Amino acid sequence: MSAESGTVHEHHWEVSWAPLLIAIGVMLLVPLTFAAFFVYEAQLYGIIFAGLGTPLIVAGIVKWIREGVTEPAVISGVSDVGIGIFIISEILIFLSLFAGYWMMRISSGAAGELWPPAGTPEINKILPLIMTVILVASSITYHKGEEEYHEGNIGSFKKWVFITILLGLTFFGCTMYEYNHLIHAGFNPGTNAYSTAFYSLTGFHASHVLIGIISFLFLLMFGTVNKMFVKVAGIYWHFVDIVWFFVATQIYYW
Amino acid sequence: MKHKAHRFFASMLVAAFFASTPGMAAEIPNIPTPTEGWNTVWHEVLIDLWVIGILFGSLGAYFLVKYRAKDPDAVGSGKKLDFRQALAWCLIPCALFLADDFMLAAKGWTLWNTQRTIPAGSMEIKVTASQWNFTYEYPNGVEISSTDRDTDKNLFGTEIMDGDLVIPVGKPIVMRMISSDVIHSFGLTDYRLKEDIMPGRVTYIWFMARKPNISQVVCVEFCGTNHSGMYNRVVAVSKANYDTWLAKKKQEATLRRRTYAANIIKR
Amino acid sequence: MTVATDGIPEDTGSSHGGFKLKEWIFTTDHKRIGIMYLIGSIAALLVAGLMAMGIRIEQTYVGESGLIQYFVGDFAGNMTTGDAYNAALYFHGAAMILAFLIPGLTGFAANYLVPLMIGAPDVAFPRINALSLWLFWMGILVALLSFIIPDAPDIMWTGYPPYSITTSTNTAFYVFTVHLLGFASILGAVNFLVTIIYMRAPGMGWNQMNMFVWTTFAAFIIQLIFVPVLAAAVTLLLLDKYAGTNFYNPDAGGDVLLYQNLFWFYSHPAVYVIFLPAMGIMYEVIATMAKNRIFNYKVAVWGGIIGILVITGEVWVHHLYIAGMPNWIRIGQMITTLMISVPVGLMVISWWGTLYKGSITYSTAMKYASANMFLVLVGGLTGIPLAMTSMTVHLSETSFIHAHFHFIMALFATFSMFAAVYHWFPKMTGRSAEGKLADAAFYVTFLGTQLTFWPLFIIGIEGMPRRYWNYEMFPQFEPYHMVATIGSFIIAFGAALMILNWIKAAINGPKVGANPWKSRSLEWTHTDIIAGPGNFPKPVTVSEDWTPYDYANADGTPNTSN
Ligand code: HEA
Ligand code: HEA
Ligand code: CUA
Ligand SMILES: [Cu+2]
Repeated sequence: MSAESGTVHEHHWEVSWAPLLIAIGVMLLVPLTFAAFFVYEAQLYGIIFAGLGTPLIVAGIVKWIREGVTEPAVISGVSDVGIGIFIISEILIFLSLFAGYWMMRISSGAAGELWPPAGTPEINKILPLIMTVILVASSITYHKGEEEYHEGNIGSFKKWVFITILLGLTFFGCTMYEYNHLIHAGFNPGTNAYSTAFYSLTGFHASHVLIGIISFLFLLMFGTVNKMFVKVAGIYWHFVDIVWFFVATQIYYW
Repeated sequence: MKHKAHRFFASMLVAAFFASTPGMAAEIPNIPTPTEGWNTVWHEVLIDLWVIGILFGSLGAYFLVKYRAKDPDAVGSGKKLDFRQALAWCLIPCALFLADDFMLAAKGWTLWNTQRTIPAGSMEIKVTASQWNFTYEYPNGVEISSTDRDTDKNLFGTEIMDGDLVIPVGKPIVMRMISSDVIHSFGLTDYRLKEDIMPGRVTYIWFMARKPNISQVVCVEFCGTNHSGMYNRVVAVSKANYDTWLAKKKQEATLRRRTYAANIIKR
Repeated sequence: MTVATDGIPEDTGSSHGGFKLKEWIFTTDHKRIGIMYLIGSIAALLVAGLMAMGIRIEQTYVGESGLIQYFVGDFAGNMTTGDAYNAALYFHGAAMILAFLIPGLTGFAANYLVPLMIGAPDVAFPRINALSLWLFWMGILVALLSFIIPDAPDIMWTGYPPYSITTSTNTAFYVFTVHLLGFASILGAVNFLVTIIYMRAPGMGWNQMNMFVWTTFAAFIIQLIFVPVLAAAVTLLLLDKYAGTNFYNPDAGGDVLLYQNLFWFYSHPAVYVIFLPAMGIMYEVIATMAKNRIFNYKVAVWGGIIGILVITGEVWVHHLYIAGMPNWIRIGQMITTLMISVPVGLMVISWWGTLYKGSITYSTAMKYASANMFLVLVGGLTGIPLAMTSMTVHLSETSFIHAHFHFIMALFATFSMFAAVYHWFPKMTGRSAEGKLADAAFYVTFLGTQLTFWPLFIIGIEGMPRRYWNYEMFPQFEPYHMVATIGSFIIAFGAALMILNWIKAAINGPKVGANPWKSRSLEWTHTDIIAGPGNFPKPVTVSEDWTPYDYANADGTPNTSN
């Protein structure tokens, strides 16, 4: 079942500076910035590292997408499989976090302790419901957009993507609002076992929402988008949506 | 360093002398211990592994020599297996290997039960591990700390030194262990046993000395800078010697408490 | 690195003659990425090997040597011997596994060989491949920062909390090293799984793939599923240490054993990420040098490789035998661990069988392969008592463990790596690296390794604890440590000879023709000796009865068709 792999034989070595740029950017933005802020408390260095790293990453991604749009792929039509495979590993990260949560919860139950443990304020159960509706809606709007795209209506596609981004941002805003509220009520990541699970699971999910939003922004920024990118971004977004069901039911309603 | 080593060997000699004193066998309960069980099973496993190893090893060596190329252009003449042969070459080895595995598993599990079942009439010592120290608390409240380790100080004219974990021969000993900081491990080298000590859980280990002897307990879970300095001796002595030692320790502790109280009153 | 021209019809392009730095650094070509992976992983081996020398020197005698501080770059003597030793050992373990062997086998070997073996022009996502390479290099850089920062991590490659949380050293760099190398691996997995599934030459069925391709396929499935768990485990460590969460804090409802479970849930399968490709390389070398078909190919693949894949996720508890796991999970995982001997045994039989009635020529790679027949037995069989929970309560955390995994990993898998470099050296450089120097390096290294690691078995059984720079309670082990140290110097000498030989051969080794080993595998039969961009001068298709191992025709005469 071998697809027609690039039968063209190019006579030069392929190059791209995007990957190296991104890797250096990541190195600056993640380990070095983190260490500067949290390990050595050298804010200035932290700001410098982040200030250097971020533009490198953005430049790298922009370049990458440009090349992806203009240059022929080695083999076409497999990026959706690629993202599917990648999502398997994402699922396992979430599963590990859930495992931690379940373990804490079950062992506290076995020890006859209260759940949620002392120090947990009343957590609003309505907000997550609204957030769920928003996220599901955004999956639908993106799907609409995809349909338009396949009919060739790029303008209306972009409109739907824009609405999706707005919904995504609203969702993200809700999370931030909730965090702000809870932290003021004295519920921070270190308060107890529940807060630990709460912030890491919702926070990790929120970071995925953010990545989704950013990739949609890239979609809007480029005049010519390719079919695969639209599809891949969609698969990723639906995945983020589905994970939310698990996060919400486990964290808020169990 | 060399100096210490000599002392160590000297104390081993003392231990050997004690070990050869006859006439105590009667008190020793005749129960299987983890230590002897380990040595037996280890012996059997070792034979099993050597047999497999030599079998495969010599066959491999034979092939390497036998099938050297006779001429540089020659090719091998291994035949493609037909379905029945392929299946046989799968199922028969599988069955043999599995049989061996299950045998080992069964032997191992039996011993495991011995290792984890505390016999009746055992004595419990509480262990608290911390960076980088073991503290032992005897049933009568006597406390010993491994950081007091001082092999130059001979207590009460016996082979026992400061900081030693002293146990009576012929009595199953249970260590109940907790940690007050990071993970440590209680490694009784000569008794072929170890178990981790960690915060948030109580773990245990049981062992029994049949003869007076001296061995080491070492911390075998990495715990930082002085991980390798976290050890002390385990000294098994006759019941009589143990009782004397414990009584003296108790007395010493009471004395210490009294002087302490007296000091406070004076102030 | 110029192009050799022996027996090659024409230069396939203008721009790939001659060395252009830009075409290396910015390359997205799998072969060059592979070679840069090789350089990175060998660099990690050398630095981590240097640390090993420091460790050995420190352990030679009871008491301080006063030298270990220099190895970790503490020339001012600010560190205590214990801290310096721990930092060196941390680097040694973490770098050897995460930066040397895994990238060496799944980075270098997989990158270089898989597309060539399946007849593809490149991997499916070349730019992601390059990103993966550079993330790996960044990971190495973060690890190397240990030697510059004042508080080098000292938490061992296992990084158990609470120690890794309460220590004053820089746990964050450990976490980020794992993140970068882990992410590089996940990207690699996405790339290679897609490549192997979709880009095989037309006509190539699953049962016609090279063994190495199969083992890579399995190794990447393991990476894909298990690396995220490791990433999560260390991320929680980071959160606990720097954001105040309580995952591993028993005082607030967390559990220290959660980390160990998550960590070994990955790190056990990780040993098969090393073992499988190493085994794959062995198959390639042996089949090629014995000019024989793989004995019982289908059983080796579906019983051996896939068998390991199936069992590997259910055995991690054998690393927690002394940590107090409940009995029900202990007995289950003891049996599954023991059962790993079945798929491995099937692979061993098929390896031995491949030699049976072969016609063996001894290239340098084949010499390593022969030594490996013995090393895999020593290393593998010593895993068996460790799998038995009642045996491990004594052997765990002693140098018996060291001996076990150095034999299977530092010797068997590492020798496979070296064999791969020798076997495909002509492919990479157009030159041969065979010769007296190569042989000398092999024999010296082999001797050294035996001297170093056998004594560890003996003192391990007698109870020499792990991670001890000082063993004043066991002075009777001193002579054994002495032998091990002498052995390690011999290894280092052998390693130096080998590296020297590689450099020498790459520059002016004798040039060779397109297929020096007379292999039947696509990377030799269908490409130029140094494959150019796009790999294959003409697209490859294979017939239904083609296999990479059909050395003989039905009548026993050599098969010379293409
Ligand atoms: C490449 C790396 C590699 C490989 C392949 C293996 C292979 C095996 N390992 Fe090893 N192991 C490590 C690397 C590896 N290990 C490392 C790094 C550690 C320590 C980590 C740390 O703590 O830092 C470790 C630790 C380790 C432990 C934990 C010890 C402890 O800390 O207490 C255990 C316990 O079960 C174990 C078991 C095994 C087994 C059963 C195999 C099996 O896969 C072996 C199978 C092979 C054979 C059995 C030989 C060939 C087969 C035959 C000839 C068939 C016939 C045989 C029989 C029927 C028995 N290993
Ligand atoms: C692939 C893995 C791998 C490899 C190849 C090695 C190779 C070696 N290892 Fe290692 N080892 C581990 C993986 C590996 N090890 C792991 C995982 C641990 C556990 C860590 C832990 O407990 O957390 C360990 C622990 C470990 C210990 C235990 C220490 C302790 O617990 O107290 C010891 C002690 O002897 C040791 C020794 C050696 C030696 C002598 C070599 C030799 O083979 C090395 C030979 C040397 C070289 C190959 C370098 C050659 C040097 C030069 C040529 C000089 C030039 C240098 C430059 C130009 C930079 N190792
Ligand atoms: Cu305590 Cu190691
Ligand atoms: Cu394992």
